[in-house]
Amino acid sequence: MAMSSGGVGLLGSAAALLGSPVAGTSMRGHTNVAMWSCPLPPPFRHCDLRRHSSSLSSPPPSPPFVVAVAATDSSNQVSPTQQPSESKSNKYHFVVANAKFMLDEEEHFQELLFERLRNYGERNKEQDFWLVIEPKFLDNFPNITKRLRRPAVALVSTNATWITFMKLRLDRVLADSYEADSLEEALASNPIHVEFDKPANWVAPYPKYEYGWWEPFLPAGCRESKV
Amino acid sequence: MAAEMALLKPISKFANTPRLTNPRAPSRPRFTTIRMSATAQPTAPKKPTEKAKKQAIKETLLAPRFYTTDFDEMEQLFNTEINKNLNQAEFEALLQEFKTDYNQTHFVRNKEFKEAADKIQGPLRQIFVEFLERSCTAEFSGFLLYKELGRRLKKTNPVVAEIFSLMSRDEARHAGFLNKGLSDFNLALDLGFLTKARKYTFFKPKFIFYATYLSEKIGYWRYITIYRHLKENPEYRLYPIFKYFENWCQDENRHGDFFSALMKAQPQFLNDWKAKLWSRFFCLSVYVTMYLNDCQRTAFYEGIGLNTKEFDMHVIIETNRTTARIFPAVLDVENPEFKRKLDRMVVINEKLIAVGETEDIPLVKNLKRIPLIAALASELLAAYLMPPIESGSVDFAEFEPQLVY
Repeated sequence: MAMSSGGVGLLGSAAALLGSPVAGTSMRGHTNVAMWSCPLPPPFRHCDLRRHSSSLSSPPPSPPFVVAVAATDSSNQVSPTQQPSESKSNKYHFVVANAKFMLDEEEHFQELLFERLRNYGERNKEQDFWLVIEPKFLDNFPNITKRLRRPAVALVSTNATWITFMKLRLDRVLADSYEADSLEEALASNPIHVEFDKPANWVAPYPKYEYGWWEPFLPAGCRESKV
Repeated sequence: MAAEMALLKPISKFANTPRLTNPRAPSRPRFTTIRMSATAQPTAPKKPTEKAKKQAIKETLLAPRFYTTDFDEMEQLFNTEINKNLNQAEFEALLQEFKTDYNQTHFVRNKEFKEAADKIQGPLRQIFVEFLERSCTAEFSGFLLYKELGRRLKKTNPVVAEIFSLMSRDEARHAGFLNKGLSDFNLALDLGFLTKARKYTFFKPKFIFYATYLSEKIGYWRYITIYRHLKENPEYRLYPIFKYFENWCQDENRHGDFFSALMKAQPQFLNDWKAKLWSRFFCLSVYVTMYLNDCQRTAFYEGIGLNTKEFDMHVIIETNRTTARIFPAVLDVENPEFKRKLDRMVVINEKLIAVGETEDIPLVKNLKRIPLIAALASELLAAYLMPPIESGSVDFAEFEPQLVY
């Protein structure tokens, strides 16, 4: 059998791995730190809300945005060589779809977000991903908005690599990126109350995740008051 | 019997291993090593000869299998030199996720395990042992396949190779955790023996992609459904391992995403009429196998408070919805006729099992089986031919331009 060629090695590593439930190879490599690299724009230059991925292209209108200093990697690495924390990425990557899909139907999405939040807590990482209900930045993506049911919900992160993964997972979402000079500006939203109809025939042997599970992921300040 | 049934076996987690019966280490009274799953052999020979061992591993129709594949073809498919425009972005993104290792410290046992195991007595005890053994074997078979792929692809595509290695890390961790669970019942699976003695089922790479994708995604849906059900109904949580399922099954889901990316990198496996036929075939194989297997083991599901058929239909429908994000066609499993067909297959399968348990001579048994096998085949064919649902990733699907997100 083809597998038998690696027999001894396989058995050896099997034994090693099985010996301890938390064993594993080191996960702390720091390859692949930057998927994208931003040339540093001159500080305080006015520029467009720029788009960088290619899925939908037509130049957006150009509100004057001030671009601050740029762009360190903030990818999902436990890396000992992090850039100094005062230089923040000004580039935001997102996937977006209608609120029902993002918050109500795709329950594995909730699990992924809480898993990631737990991981950040365990490793003392600063949160770099948010859910934005009816984000203002969508105004600059007419090619997206014309295909989008509203209200819409975007998952926004400064980690481009992770957003690529989330696009792969969710599939039925549109992806793109933009720049903004502050977090508040990047995550600005038009306040709206989302509501979902109860599913017509819920046959799962467990209840749905509770309405409002997304609260911890909303940008601070935009948390919807509970009704 | 339907060849497709054979391939199903290893697929659904929990559903795959052989029965464990043979206590094989008589010198160690408290601890039994399960070498294989045999057919129910009441007593094991004290010193089995090599020949006897071979006979004991009986590969039955629904018996689990380990996979192997054409590693040279795999190397070609993902060789970055040959395929210069292989889209690596998704692989890089997945590698990042696997390196993060969300469950690095998750699989830590405590004393509740042994205490809970001691309380499980009577017929349920045997059922639990079988569940652990099957699950462990299924995870372990994933470990073997991924480990070897990680080794073989190292030179031609280091990123894909590393992902395979990290997935084998996950599978080994899962299998090890389940095997520790068996120790609570004073048993242990001899995985080294299993590695050497098990038959390996050969699949060409594209079939490995379809089968393992489904296997991982259906695994996710099984684990999360059991977890969420038991969270709601903790009185049925007879053994602490179920508490670990929520984080555990995120690994399964990510593994499935990786096979999704592998298929997207090889669109020839997704975009023609043959791909559609194979997609439906694998969906059917996996769903039917799980359904028939689980219906033979209703005691386990009822033991943890689930209705077996409702549980299975939920898992099938959700897995099918997930699979529709990548396969170019899936089955219309939400059509009530699909479930009716499954239920008829269960009845036929029960009759087949009953024939096997009679005292008849083999010739008579086989004659009795013929009409049943024909009936089963015809149900399978009819289910296969039900009008399918066109599907696929929006990165490829023809319906994408009309889609409103």
